[in-house]
This record gives sequence, C-alpha cells and structure tokens, in this order.
Amino acid sequence: MIFSYNWLQSFFKQKLPKPEKLAEILTLHFAEVEEVKKVGKDFAIDIDVRPNRAGDCFSHWGIAREISAITHLTFYPGGEKVKLIEDKKLKSGDFVSIGVKDKNTCLRYTARVILDVKIAPSPKRLQERLITCGLRPINNVVDITNYVMLNSGQPLHAFDGEKIEDKKIVVRFAKRGEEIITLDDQRCQLDENVLVIADSRKPIGIAGIKGGKNSGIDEKTKIVVLESANFHPQVIRKGSRALDLKTDASLRFEHGIDPNLTEKAINQAAYLIQEIAKGKVAKGIIDFYPKKVLPKIIKLDLDYLERLLGVKIPENEIKKILESLGLKIENWKLKILTVFIPTFRQDISIPEDLIEEIGRIYGYQKIPSISPLTLLKVPEKNLDLFWEDFSKDVLKEMGFTEVYNYCFFSEKDKEIFGQKNLIELENPLSQDYKYLRTSLIPNLLKNVQKNQKQFKEIRIFELGRIFLAPKKEKRMLTGLIFSKEKFFEGKGIVETLLNKMRISNLWYDQYQPTPEDSELKIWQKDKCAEIKVDGEEIGFLGEISKDILENLKIENDVLVFDLDFEKLAKLACEEHEFRPISPYPAAIRDIAVLVPRETRVEEVLNVIEIAGGELVRDVDLFDIYEGEALPEDKKNLAFHIVFQAEDRTLSSKEINEIQNKIIAALEENLDWQIRK
Amino acid sequence: MAMKKNQLKLLKNQAKEEIEKIKDLKDFNEIYNKYLGKKGKIVAILRSLKKLPKKERKKIGKMANDFKKFLEEKLKEKNQFFKEKVKEKKEFFDITVPGKRPLIGHLHPLTLVKRKVMEIFQSMGFEVIEGPDIENEWYNFDALNIPKDHPARDLWDTFWLKTKERLLLKTHTSPNQVRYMEKNNPPLRVIVVGNVYRHEATDASHEFQLMQVEGLMVGKEVAVCHFKAIVEEFLKKFFEKPLKIKLRPDFFPFTEPSFDVSVSCFVCQGKGCPTCKNSGWLEIAGAGMVHPAVFKNSGLNPKDWQGWAFGFGLDRLAMMKYKINDIRLFRSGDLRFLTQF
Repeated sequence: MIFSYNWLQSFFKQKLPKPEKLAEILTLHFAEVEEVKKVGKDFAIDIDVRPNRAGDCFSHWGIAREISAITHLTFYPGGEKVKLIEDKKLKSGDFVSIGVKDKNTCLRYTARVILDVKIAPSPKRLQERLITCGLRPINNVVDITNYVMLNSGQPLHAFDGEKIEDKKIVVRFAKRGEEIITLDDQRCQLDENVLVIADSRKPIGIAGIKGGKNSGIDEKTKIVVLESANFHPQVIRKGSRALDLKTDASLRFEHGIDPNLTEKAINQAAYLIQEIAKGKVAKGIIDFYPKKVLPKIIKLDLDYLERLLGVKIPENEIKKILESLGLKIENWKLKILTVFIPTFRQDISIPEDLIEEIGRIYGYQKIPSISPLTLLKVPEKNLDLFWEDFSKDVLKEMGFTEVYNYCFFSEKDKEIFGQKNLIELENPLSQDYKYLRTSLIPNLLKNVQKNQKQFKEIRIFELGRIFLAPKKEKRMLTGLIFSKEKFFEGKGIVETLLNKMRISNLWYDQYQPTPEDSELKIWQKDKCAEIKVDGEEIGFLGEISKDILENLKIENDVLVFDLDFEKLAKLACEEHEFRPISPYPAAIRDIAVLVPRETRVEEVLNVIEIAGGELVRDVDLFDIYEGEALPEDKKNLAFHIVFQAEDRTLSSKEINEIQNKIIAALEENLDWQIRK
Repeated sequence: MAMKKNQLKLLKNQAKEEIEKIKDLKDFNEIYNKYLGKKGKIVAILRSLKKLPKKERKKIGKMANDFKKFLEEKLKEKNQFFKEKVKEKKEFFDITVPGKRPLIGHLHPLTLVKRKVMEIFQSMGFEVIEGPDIENEWYNFDALNIPKDHPARDLWDTFWLKTKERLLLKTHTSPNQVRYMEKNNPPLRVIVVGNVYRHEATDASHEFQLMQVEGLMVGKEVAVCHFKAIVEEFLKKFFEKPLKIKLRPDFFPFTEPSFDVSVSCFVCQGKGCPTCKNSGWLEIAGAGMVHPAVFKNSGLNPKDWQGWAFGFGLDRLAMMKYKINDIRLFRSGDLRFLTQF
C-alpha cells in the first residue's frame, strides 16, 4: 500500500527521517518497505502492510503512530483540526433514514447530511496527496471521501441525497435478479450473497465495495448523504469474490476495521466538505450501532516475555513501548502487567501479541544469539528417505540422471496414456495441468522428446509421487533408457538396484493383460514383463508402444522400468553378511545346448542349476546363436559352468560326474540337444 | 701357444674398439653375437681349450674367462647407455587429447540441496519427516490458525481438488507441525521436507510447484535467541561462508511473534549488488514462535510448551547456492541443465 511522505509528516511537528532512512526503520520494526519513489514534491512509500495490521495501518494515521513508536518523535493524532459547524435549522433525520435488516452483517452505520454543496474540482494539495497514493481525483466531495479513507482507514461513501428514493437507506442482501451499474459503469448481476445499500425500491450501492451510478455525486448534486459504516468482514469478502470486484473499500472491510472509527472519520469528512465544498452540515449524526465494541484487557507476565524472546528488556523500556503504541498500562503488580487495548488494535488479543509488539519495537537485532541447551540425542533415522537417497545413488552410479517433473497431467496425457483413477483439479492453472499425475512415465517421455535433439542416448529417472483417486498417493521410482540394446540393459539395471538393496528372489513374469487394463496402451505387448519378488508384483519393465512414441514424435525405441517404491523400501534391507572367499580353485566347463527357438533361457538354466547342485557356483550364459549353420527353428545356447567347493579342490573326476549329470538332465528333454 | 696368448690380446683390443664404435642396437646385437653368442668367439675359444695341454689350458682358460668378463662388463655398460638413450628419446605424445570419461549420472540439484540441509539439521539432533501432498483444510489452514473466509488465507493461493471430501494440495509444509505434534510429545526437534503447491503465475522467480523445508523446535524454554543461533549455524554451514542474519517483523497466523529472516548477501558481503537488489540482504525464510492456538490444535497445552518454527524454499536456496537465475529450470527436465550437477 502506498503512503505519502508529506502526509505522514503532517502528524508531526518535528522533522521525520529522510524517506530512505524512514523506509529502513519501518522495514526493521514494522513491515517491509518495497519502494520509495519521488512524486512531484512528495515521496510515495510502498509499504507491505501485513494482513493483521490492515485494520489500523491501511491508513496514514496508523503508519504515523508506528513511526512515532519507533523514532520517539511526538505524534499528534488529530492531524488537521476538525471544527465542525452544524446548522441547527437543518436536521439530518429530515433528509435520510437508515434501516439495517441484519445487524450481523452491518455492525455500524453512521450517516451525515450536508446541504448546498458546490461540486467542483478539489484543491491542489488534496489532489496531489491522492495522486501520490495512486488515486485519481474526481471532484471535491468524492476526493474528500477518499482522502479521509486514506487518512483514517475508514472507507466512506457519498450519495446524492436527492437520488435516494423516499429518503430511505436500507442495508440488506440483494435479491436474485437485481442488478446495479456501478460508478465506473460496470453492470453487476446481484444475488443473495451480496449485501447492498438500497433505497425504498432498488440497490443504490454494493455495501462496502462500490457505489451505484444511480445515486452518485454529479456536478448538479446539492445534498450529500455521507455514509461511514462498518460491515462484517466475511460478508464483504464473500460479495467481493462473488462479483470478482476488489476495491480500496472492500480491501479494508474484509480485513476488519474498528467500528468505533466511523464517527471520527465522518466528522472529518463533513468538516472538509463544509470547508471545501462550502456545504452546510445538518444537525445530528445518524448512527446505527447496536453492539458497541469495547476495549480489551490483557495480562502480560514479564517472566514469560523474557522466556519467549530470550532477552531481558528493561521495565521502563517496556512501558515506553506500550504507551507509544497507544496501549495503556492499567496496572503493574510485580511482574504482571494489565494492559488496556484500545479498539483500533483489533489484532491484539493474547499476551503473545503484546510480546511481539514489545519485541519488534525494541528490535529483534538486539536479541542475542544463544545455542539452546538440549538433550544430546541422535535423531530417529527416516528409513523412507534413507532408501530414497540410497536408490538414487545406485542409479546415478549406473549413469542415470535424475529429473524432477511437475506432478500434473493434461487432458491429452490422460487420453494418450489411457490413464484412469485421476484426481482432477478444481482450479487448474491451465489445461496442461488439469489432473494429478497417475504415473511418472508420461512426463519422463516428454523429457526425452525435449532432449533427443541434443542427446543421442538418454538415461533418466525420477523418484516421485503419483496420485490415485479418491486420495491415495504413493512414491514410484521410474527410469528410462533411450538407446540401443535397451531391454536387457534395463533388466540389468533393475537387477543391480534390487541386489544393492538386498532384495532377493527377483523374477520376471510374462505380462498377462486383462481386457480393461489401461497399462496396455503404454507398453509394447511383446516386450514387457512384470517384475516380481516372490509372489508380489513390484513393478513393470518394457518398451514403450509405437503408438505413443509416434504420438510424442520420439524417434527411437524407449525402455522404461516402473517400480513401486513403497514396496521396494519395505523389502529393502541394510543387513548384509560377508561370504568367505573359497581358498580352493574354481573350474570352468562349457556346455552348448541346441534348443527350439521358443525355449526360454530360464528353463535351461533351471535344469542346469537343479542337476548341478551345490558345487555349481555359477552358470553364465555367454552366447545365444541363431542363424547360418543351424536348423531354422533352433538356437544355440552356450554356458560357462563354474564349479567350486568351499572345503576342497574338486578333482576332475568329481567335476566330470556333475557335468555328465547336467548333460543327462538336459537330454531328458527330447527337443534339446547337447553339442559336443 | 704364444700365438694363443697374442691372439687373445689382439682379439681383446679389437673387441674393445668394436664395442666403442657401436652406434645403435643393431650394432650392439651384432657385436654381442659375434663374441658372446652361441656361435661366438668366446664359445669357440673355450671349446678349443680342451685341445690344449693341461697346464696351458688353465692359463689360457683363465685369460679367456677374464676376456669374457671384460666383454660382458663392457657390453653391459654399452647396453645401459642405450637404455638411457632410449629413455631420453622423445616420442610425440599428445596429452591434450580429451580424456575418456566413464558414463556417470547426475543427481538433481534439489536433491543435493535437500541432502545438505538434512545433514546439517540431523547433526544438530533434528529428526527428518515428510507428509502427504494432498491435505485437508483442517491441517493446511484451520489447525494453523488461518480461519475460513479470512484474508490471511490469501497469503496462500491454493489448488483445490475435485474430490468428495474437500481436499487441496498443501500450500506449505506447516501442516506437518500439527501432524507431528499430535503424535509426539515435546521436547522435540524436527525438520519437514516436501512439495508445496501455489496457484500463481510463473516467471523466473515464481513457480507453482516448489520444495519447502520446515523446522520446528519445542521445549520448556525454547526462545527467539535460540532460533537465531540455530538458523545462523545452519546458514553458515550451508553456504560455507561467514554471514550474518537479520530478523524483521512479519505476519503468519501460526506464529506469534512472527519474523522474516534475511541473510547478509554473500555475493557482495552486504555492500549491495544486483543479487541482493543493493540492499545487502537476501530474504530467506519466514519464522516465528509457535502460536498457542497451534499447540492447542495439536493436543498440547500452550501453558506447558513454547517453541519456534521456520520455513524456507529449497528451490530458492538452490538458486542462491548455484547462482541459478530461473526457477523454472528445476522442473524443465533439460539435460543441459541437469548434467551440470
């Protein structure tokens, strides 16, 4: 909010610090000054007044009080003198009456009537102050209402008294179907959520937000009805949102203002209209104020103050600070203070609020920095985060680069990838971020699409959350390889990762799609597998379907592994035992088996391992050959078989026996042929 | 017999000359074979010994052996000389050919920064926790003393979900203060890390999805002075530079008093530069003393406990650390960016 330096100066007889210096001390003790700008002979000071202080500091008066508390300069809250002269022959009540339908929506309604006003441009000084604060001068009466608002924080409105039908002002909710054209020519459709100021027949203003054109001041106006009201913050907020209309007035009302302010503000405005627009002020103030707001009393324990801030502030300083802020110390017994809180400080309601006031004016920079005395305790280890870091490191070591993607999907993502159970956003930022993501795969593929021009090979992964309706969220670890020879590299990556996490019993299952399976759209059907640990599926491995690659214009095949990280973290284990290195030599024999093409390597491996027994330390497939010199429907599998015992050197006789046993077992299958 | 003796002498002189004349390895091998080879002169002499009478055999034999030793020594010297020469000889070897790098991956800068933050706080006894991204209004707002239909809520622009229950994407990590205190009794020290979401337009310094870190310390006498010490220690360790901090008043509904933490600009050491917009200070975190209402909403009696909480953006911290000028790079998936870390 913008404040005028000269205006602030008018509350003081002594000179204020220079604008930059003032900005610095306000930032340190009150709120951040975002900018100081020279405007003519004045300076515009932009202060980021926080919402809790809007009630009293969306005004020059409030800021001046803060300056006084910080600088110790004497504050003259009256500012300019108000000498209101009421015309005893004219009675306000003869020109307007006020009716409030619901006293919970309008806490106070104060009105005054000024007659015989001469509408003209306002004086230069007044115009300049408005301009400094970013407001456009209109005419003397309207400018005066704005001026008083900027000065006191109380929004005011001026009606043309002759345009109010039956001289009746009614505060009520609008009826569905009613509409109003505002002062700035906007047509607003009203409904039961919007509080209006109406005359006997129609709305003439939107309460606390904007006046209506039908009752506005124009050059012919003679009778001015001034409104200085206090509306319920939530009512104004709701109406302002419903109409999507924010104004200087609605901003102040929705933050809550002191209801006791209306009278002071309306008198100042009436006085200025009397002086500037040469009006006659009718006798009497019309005031609807059913429930007077009273000051609060708060007890403050000085020991608690010291314990919370961690600094001992001298008692006379505490007294000075509270008083300079306009708070009154009613009683001081030992270390307990009874503080009287005037109604303009609606934000102060608990002792901690007072501690903040004392702390910030005293200066947070004066609080020392002291290490806490606490128990020397090793914090609990967070295993979820531990395994996250662990697996990220393993993938990084294997050449993968970590990416972070947005947690959102577009409508197009939903369709291309055939995703279900999506959670939709009520207010998406744009159509690109309409849903929460149900898989990490689509955004990773988009990463490839974006990078494929610069990088021939891409290995990336993400460990992040996915979201499933109704409100489930879980972590996935998904990696992608964009290069040649992907499938078995991907398999090897998964195997190494799980091995490092000490997860055993990993196996792959041919994917068995169910008819309604959405996964079907993502994978290339013949090149994908379920990744299982014991009986449980923990993820999926496969190449991405050509349709999707075409759709995303990805120029090469892509392999993806998609792991349920919640399951991985649960299965992972830190315990690991060393296996003694056998001092006895290992012997290697080779076996080549000619098998039908559809035979899976795993079947052959199983036979070798079972027949070989304990002394076969390792079986290693080193060649698969199909083609020339072999029958068309056959392939040749070649294995190294490693024999080793823990307690002795195996003799060739022993090895031959096992080898023969393996050969015999393999030959039991009549389609398999041992190549000798 | 005298012949033999003279012959040997002559041969020795001849050999001496020849050895001296050796110019290269080829010469060396030739001479070596000529004298010491299997069909060389020495072998021939030794073989001829047996034809001599015993007495002479001994004498000539000794001479022959001396000759052999002499040859071996001379040739060894020569050989050494050649070895040295070969060592000295410069072959053209281009060390500027680029090294062959192994394939390695890269962790995301936010992961690196998150780890560093966690490590420092863990070493000061803080436990690290996470929370859900999907929150309800109670934890995200009400429990934190942010009432419905109050302008204070406007400080957090919120993404709402189309769900049966009214749910949202958490706008800050603070809901986990309440979630944690509901289940754990003070004294406590805890750090929360997680995604937060803000419904706002993006530019080089604004993002709608961010990572945040929240700290909470509660005890009998945990005060502002302790907050200053811990946060200063953290920042010094994080930036590995001497620096100062500054607190100025701010407002958060869930802390009272509330403040904003700035750190002296480590680019210009507080003198003023473009990074700190000439102020000498960089805003880094929001903080304050836990509001009694938050204790109450977490099932704790505010009369028994006091403490502080703070929150800062990991993205911003990473930007400061690595001098990254556009926050949108983090989630761009651009490998030209990611492979730099």
